[in-house]
Amino acid sequence: MENTSEVFPSDPTWSEEGSSRVPFWAYTREDLYKRELERLFYKGHWCYVGLEVEVPEPGDFKRTVVGERSVIMTRSTDGEIHVVENVCKHRGMRFCREKHGKAKELLCPYHQWSYALNGDLQGVPFRRGVKREGKVNGGMPADFNPADHGLTKLKVARRNGVVFASFDHDVEPFEEFLGPTILSYFDRVFDGRKLVLLGYRRQRIPGNWKLMQENIKDPYHPGLLHTWFSTFGLWRADNQSELKMDAHKRHAAMISTRGQGGKVEEVVTGLDSFKETMTVNDKRLLDIVHEDWWGKPTAVMTTIFPSVIIQQQVNSVSTRHIQPNGHGSFDFVWTHFGFADDTPEMHQRRLIQANLFGPAGFVSADDGEVIEWSQEGFEQNPSQKTLVEMGGRDTEDSPHMVTETLIRGMYAYWRRVMGE
Amino acid sequence: MSSENWVDVASVDAVPEGDTIGVSLNGQGIALYKVDGEVFATAGLCTHGAAHMCDGFLEGHEIECPLHQGRFDIRTGKALNEPLTEDIRTFAVRLDAGRVMVLAD
Ligand code: FES
Ligand code: FES
Ligand SMILES: [Fe+2]
Repeated sequence: MENTSEVFPSDPTWSEEGSSRVPFWAYTREDLYKRELERLFYKGHWCYVGLEVEVPEPGDFKRTVVGERSVIMTRSTDGEIHVVENVCKHRGMRFCREKHGKAKELLCPYHQWSYALNGDLQGVPFRRGVKREGKVNGGMPADFNPADHGLTKLKVARRNGVVFASFDHDVEPFEEFLGPTILSYFDRVFDGRKLVLLGYRRQRIPGNWKLMQENIKDPYHPGLLHTWFSTFGLWRADNQSELKMDAHKRHAAMISTRGQGGKVEEVVTGLDSFKETMTVNDKRLLDIVHEDWWGKPTAVMTTIFPSVIIQQQVNSVSTRHIQPNGHGSFDFVWTHFGFADDTPEMHQRRLIQANLFGPAGFVSADDGEVIEWSQEGFEQNPSQKTLVEMGGRDTEDSPHMVTETLIRGMYAYWRRVMGE
Repeated sequence: MSSENWVDVASVDAVPEGDTIGVSLNGQGIALYKVDGEVFATAGLCTHGAAHMCDGFLEGHEIECPLHQGRFDIRTGKALNEPLTEDIRTFAVRLDAGRVMVLAD
């Protein structure tokens, strides 16, 4: 039947109840994407900005984005962290071009308006005009008040070394935004220990940003798509696992525990027994050491809607920042970190295990590609729908991995907020 | 005493009351100010960016930089507000027979 319907429906509606059939146009429509920016990234939500350890000293700054809007995270001389929009209040220039740096002030090069690290406007060249032969020429009007023209300031939330921000100053407190369940998984990684920055990885993925949230809410795929994972025993469909969401079903945690603690057995049976003879050449990649703070789970992937993923895959920990730039593309920025109390061996281990992830990671390279290919499928015929019915059509938490409930939960929330 | 290097930089009348002018001290630009007949001298350039202090606006003993409104006390050179983080150099001045004499290095 679908073959006879319009390929590019002009005013499509989401006809079904529930959220187990997602229309392809939810990923392809530019108008919906703009509405997502408005309602998900710029209103009512906290977005990830960075780690405090990225701006350790007064004057340090980092440029990043909230949704598509360029912002600067700064640390002022009093140690406070500020997040301001990177748009000059004079003629609108996106003035800060460095990714990181140290500065005494924020200066727009076009006409040298100068802003304090907290965004206050400090100085306007020739505000009082220019003197010439006893006369003063030009200058700003007498009613010009610098206090009215500071950079747009975002509301900032800091929790255990992680910084979130919101353009919406009426947004609920960060802890309530996460809800108690997801907050407990957030605090499991960020428990107040001092963090150490290990490095970044950046990639541009030609797909809709929601596909990345889906990917990390999808425990159906890792053992199937990521042959590296399954071949070397890091993921099995029968791993003991749990899926949990916040009350709104927008955030989620995928919690899994490998069968046997301690070292990984290199050969698994079952799914891919045909690879029994395969071994890892560089054994350090599988040198996994249990850390006390994990508790029982060996991997927890936490999706914080809409902007970030917190990864703990054995000894590799990172944040993954989703930075959309159009309905069909986003930048994915990985910040790998460790803890100040790591031994040199653990530091090394985290660096080595980071090779599983990132744009060219043994595991994560696969995700970038399937997201691109999904988007290609959506674009060629937006009138079709995905089928998200593994494990049922409900949106409840689950004591196992064989379900797409987290994706359904996210789209149930999306429909409510987006009014689709 | 004889080693002190006082340099004649301008006539006293050339410095307008309540305002500032730029002059040369051995080839280096400095700014002169006059407040109630008393003359003061500072370095010519702002400690913040590339602005001439003589293009600034004098209010009492405070000179406001024309670029970003940083203010210095011309008596002490003290930086009084943001974005300034560094004081400006001042020079000793004496008036001698209608001339402004500035103490150079
Ligand atoms: S646009 Fe920034 S100073 Fe003019
Ligand atoms: S150049 Fe003088 S305040 Fe900026
Ligand atoms: Fe994956």
